[in-house]
This record gives sequence, structure tokens and C-alpha cells, in this order.
Amino acid sequence: MSGKQRTATYPVGDSYVSEGVIAAASSGPAAPGPAGEPGEPLLVVEDLRVQFTRGGRRINAVNGLSYELLPGSMMAIIGESGSGKSVSSRALMGLLPPTATITGSVSFAGRELIGMPEREMRELRGGDIAMVFQDPARSLNPTMKIGAQVTEAIRLHSDSDRKGAHARAIELLRMVRLPAPERRFHEYPHQLSGGMRQRVMIAIALAGEPRLLIADEATTALDVTTQAQIMELLVELQQRLGMAVVMISHDLGLAASYAQDVVVMYAGRAVEHAPTATLFGNVRMPYTRALLGAIPALEREPHSLFEVTPGQPPDLSALPKGCPFRPRCPNALDRCVEMPPFREHEPEHWWACWNPVGDETGNGEQE
Amino acid sequence: MTTAALPQVPGTRDPRVSRTSRVTRFAGSPVLRLVVKRLLMAIPIMLGVTVLTFWVLSLIPGNAAQQLLGPEATPEQVAQLEEQLGLNRPGYVRYGEWLRGAVTGDLGRSIVSNQPVSDLLGERLPVTGELVLLAFVVSLVLAVPVALLAAHRPGGVWDRISMVVSTAGLSVANYVLALILVLVFAVQLGVLPAIGFTPLSEGLWPNVRSLILPSAAIGLPLFCFYARFLRGDLVDQMQQEEYVTTARAKGVGSWQVLIRHAFRNSSFGLITVVGLNLGALIGGTVIIEQIFALPGIGQMLLQAINTRDFIMVQAVVVVFALVAVVANLVVDLLYAVLDPRIRYGSR
Repeated sequence: MSGKQRTATYPVGDSYVSEGVIAAASSGPAAPGPAGEPGEPLLVVEDLRVQFTRGGRRINAVNGLSYELLPGSMMAIIGESGSGKSVSSRALMGLLPPTATITGSVSFAGRELIGMPEREMRELRGGDIAMVFQDPARSLNPTMKIGAQVTEAIRLHSDSDRKGAHARAIELLRMVRLPAPERRFHEYPHQLSGGMRQRVMIAIALAGEPRLLIADEATTALDVTTQAQIMELLVELQQRLGMAVVMISHDLGLAASYAQDVVVMYAGRAVEHAPTATLFGNVRMPYTRALLGAIPALEREPHSLFEVTPGQPPDLSALPKGCPFRPRCPNALDRCVEMPPFREHEPEHWWACWNPVGDETGNGEQE
Repeated sequence: MTTAALPQVPGTRDPRVSRTSRVTRFAGSPVLRLVVKRLLMAIPIMLGVTVLTFWVLSLIPGNAAQQLLGPEATPEQVAQLEEQLGLNRPGYVRYGEWLRGAVTGDLGRSIVSNQPVSDLLGERLPVTGELVLLAFVVSLVLAVPVALLAAHRPGGVWDRISMVVSTAGLSVANYVLALILVLVFAVQLGVLPAIGFTPLSEGLWPNVRSLILPSAAIGLPLFCFYARFLRGDLVDQMQQEEYVTTARAKGVGSWQVLIRHAFRNSSFGLITVVGLNLGALIGGTVIIEQIFALPGIGQMLLQAINTRDFIMVQAVVVVFALVAVVANLVVDLLYAVLDPRIRYGSR
């Protein structure tokens, strides 16, 4: 499914958004930034590495992640637990604890984020870059009213006074379609359902009119119906406000339905990256194929066994030499002890494999 | 729009009502029920405590008659006074008599001085109360900023300094600390009185001045404990709670995250500890009042035990137990004020 088809699927209605928001959206985030010409990526991640030191052990959570994100697009980063998808996005927002060592480069609208002074970073956080987290029950402050949590974000990134912030908060809560926003404003998170809490989280994220929204497993903790509603809301907001969205998920189906681009991560690296249709129509990385094989499908013969990937995700403190997927890979070659480069082998289709699916010749792709 | 026209979602309130919800929450029956329940629970506690005290006192050799007459007295004289004071009757009879009076609010008269116990308590309770209050003020006023400073950078310079100071403070008993304080501030520097109590009627400053050293002796070890405790809770909140990450992701500065977000959530633990401490603390004043010659309830307790004045001892014990029960109740009610998730009996 491509982005264009989706535009037709989720028509944008103006009924619940005031003119102010649209005006702000169309003049602000959608326009290219000072350093960004149209078509130029908003976010460029290059060889990002994150290492944690815990009790003398070094854990390599992210090992040379690279990807690019265009303004206004929606990209999914998928991978299993511990693949580094969440750590890498927290790293670029500077949200990791001081035990993390971050190297590499993350360039956002031409500004380098790694090593940016905290003061500048704080302006970006919740401003140009916002984030929505997995568990809305835990990610809102239990002792603060909804309204206070939204207005706090508004006042940090604008000069609005109390009254202005209040009006804007109601506007944002209405935009995320929280029912009865004026009443919810004075309530506490425990009085809301999971879906409503996540809407509040999204409203908080939108407070700074972000150009990039990172949704870290934002729908994982919700039931399926609510999940679809929240995803549709995100897509709609992304298109209306022209912001780019990075959606972090372990759910391939979700990625396939909503994202324009998909990055597959394994052991802290990107292993395959392509537009969604390309990726799912022409899987090259054996790991991606293994993930797809593990999805239950209606067409499948009843009681047939899933294709389960043998083995376990690698120990991040003792990664194998070469390709980290080698011990579990059905396509593994002798050559795989060398790290396969992550490269654009076909137009817009990047992968890191010597012996990709589709041309298993036995000796892999030669340079 | 009228209230009736507002769609009512279950579990929510009309916003106009929620403005006064804190008041209504306390005037409403669930809170009242909690208070009544706790006060009813206090009855067996009081009975247990007083019976136990009575029994323990009867185990100590000697009684009030012997203490009053001194070691020179003949057994006949002692027996006569025992008869006069009613001490020769069995323990359960004397306890029953005391209890009958206590239930009607009459705590009896001191065996030794024959003054009404309630008068003596009225004289001495304010002294101890003021001492405990000042000790809490000293400990909390110091502990909160120190804990915030330490938790801002765990493992940082301030954290380590506060760690050393509080470990040292925790390992010194308060009576040792009292003597050190007297030595430094009263003997060496001569800026504060070493002993004695100036009542409030002689002015606020002289009154507070006479309590500075005793309340510091009680408050400083408490400060060390509270600072460690609060620092630990704050660090847990900062490192483990996702709402802290949300606040940081909003662009809130690190001090603001600590003070506006983590501190409020950490305060529940602190309040519990402070409330539980209050019971122990009022007992801890016994030694400090002795050292600083303060005419408080702790000093009165010690005198009463020495003279085997069981009526007085009972009265003090009842006060201590009541303070503990009420402190716990107040803590529970404070939760409801601070933590919006707690509403007694509402769900």
C-alpha cells in the first residue's frame, strides 16, 4: 500500500480543527527548514552507535545504524525486542541515561544532534522533534491533571500566557479527538481509558508543532480496535500537519499498512530498507523473510506449523563476527564471517547481505 | 447548559464539581467512615497498650508508697501508705478503676503529687509538641533541598557529599549529637543556652532559641534519614518512570523534571515515613528532654516511672499511643489530598 492510496482512504476533514492550527501547520512544519530544500532528507542517521556499560560489561545496543527520512513522510522501523529500534530513537533525542556512549552522526534539518549542548537539545525536544511512547498508562504523570501536562508542553515552546495555552490545549485535545476536552482538561490520567491517554500523549507531542514525530511502539499497549484508531489519527495528523513520522514497531502488518518506507533492524543495525511495497514485494534480506514467515495468515492451512526462526537474538555484549544473523540464517555462506555492507543494491532498496533471498547462487552477490 | 444536560461518562465529574472535589471528598461520607473506623480501631490498641504498661509496671520492684517514703521507712509505714493510696488492692481492680475514669475523660490524679493528671499534661504537652514540630521542620527543610540536589546528578559531587554527611549523621545517636551541640554552641561559642526552656509567653524568639539545640539534636539524624530516603525515591522515579521520559521529551529542563514531576510522586513515600516516625519520635524526646532539662512529657514520664506513679505513666502512654494512631490517620488522609488516584471508598 502506498502513501497515495492512503490519502484516499483517510480523507481529511476540517470539522474538528480550527483555522489557527491549519495555518500554523501549513506555514510551519510542512515548509522546508532553513537547511532543507524540498526533496532533501529531514533526518539523516549515519553510522549511529550506542553502547551501554553495565557492571563492566559492554552492551552494543546500536551498531552502525544508517537511514534517511524525507520531510512529511512516514517511516517504520521494525525489529524484535533488543534490536535497537527504541534505543536509537531515544539516542537521537538525547533521552538516554548517562551510562550510554553515543557515536556517529544524526543530522536533523542540517543540524547535528549528537553532541549538541543540552540547552539547544531541550529546545528541539518537544519542539521540532516530539515523541509518543508505548505505554500511555505509565507515560503520563499520574499526579498531574491532563490540562497541566498539555499546557506545560505548550508554554515551553511558545510565549503564550496561561489563557492562550489553555485555549491551545483544548484545541490540541480536540484535534486528537479526545471526547469532551474541556472536561478532560481537569481530569487525571487514571480517569481516562488507554486510547484516550494515548490521544493526550499525541496532543502533548503536537504542542510544539513538530517536524518529526517519533512514535515508539505507540499502539502496542492498546487493543486492536483502538490501535487502528490511533494509527489512523497519526496518519491523518501527519498528512495535515506535514510532519514526518518514524513509527517504531515490532508489528510488520502495522508497518505494511501505514508506512511509506520500512527499515528492518537486527542486532542494532539496519539490515533492509526500502519503500513498503518494494520491501514486501521483493524481500531480499533472509531475516526479513523469516519475520514475514512468522506472521499468522488467514490463507494458511489450519494447524500448519509457523516458520519459526531457529535460535535467539544475539547477545549484544558478545556479537558474533561478521553478520549477526549468520548463526540463524538459512542462507549463510562462509563469506558471512565478513560483515556485509548496508548498501543500495537496487534503486531505493538497501540491504546488508552477501546471499540475499531471490538470488541464492551459493556464492552470494559479488562486487 | 444545565448540569442534567451534560452527558455523564461513568467515573467522571462535572468540571464545576471537580473544582471543589477536595472539599467534598472530605465532607463526604467515605472519608468520615475512614476516620470513624480508625478511631474505633484505636480502642483495642489503647486497651492493649495500657494493660501492657500496667502489667510491666507491676513487675518492677517497689511501688509508689516505698518511693514516697524512701529507703528509711519501716514496713509498717509502707503498708499504711499503701492502704491509704489503695495500692494493696489487686492489679486488675486498680486497672479497672483507672479505666472507668479514663473512659469518662478523667485520667485521675498523680499518686505522688495528687495533682490532676490532665493539668500536668496540659502544662507539658505543648513543650514536647513544640520540640517535635521544630525537629520536623529542621529535618524536612534540610532534607528536601539536599535530596533534590543529590538526585539531580546521581553519583555526582553533591550526591557523594550528601551520602557521606548523611551516613555520618545516621550513625551518631541523638544524645551524643546533643552533647556535641551543647559543647560547640553553648560552651565554646556561647550563642545558645545549654539547658532550660523559655515559654512562649516570654516572647517568640527566646522561646524558639531555647529549643534550637534540642530540636537540632532530634532533627539532624532525621534529616540524614529523610535525605537518603527521598534521594533514593527520586532517583528511582527519574530512572524508571516513563512519565519522566515524557517530561524530558517535552523539553522540560532537568531541574523542572525533578521538582515538578518526580518530587510530587516521591513525596508519598516520604510522608509515610514521616508519619510512622512521629510515633517513635515522641518517645525519643524522653532522652533529649532529660539532657536539655525541658519540662516536657518525656521528662514527666521518666519521673513517673521512677516514683512508680502508674497513673501518670498510663496517661503519658495513652498520649503516645494516640499520637501514633492519629499520625497514621493523618498520613492516610494526606495521600488522598496529594494522590488523585486515591479516593477512599469511592470505588
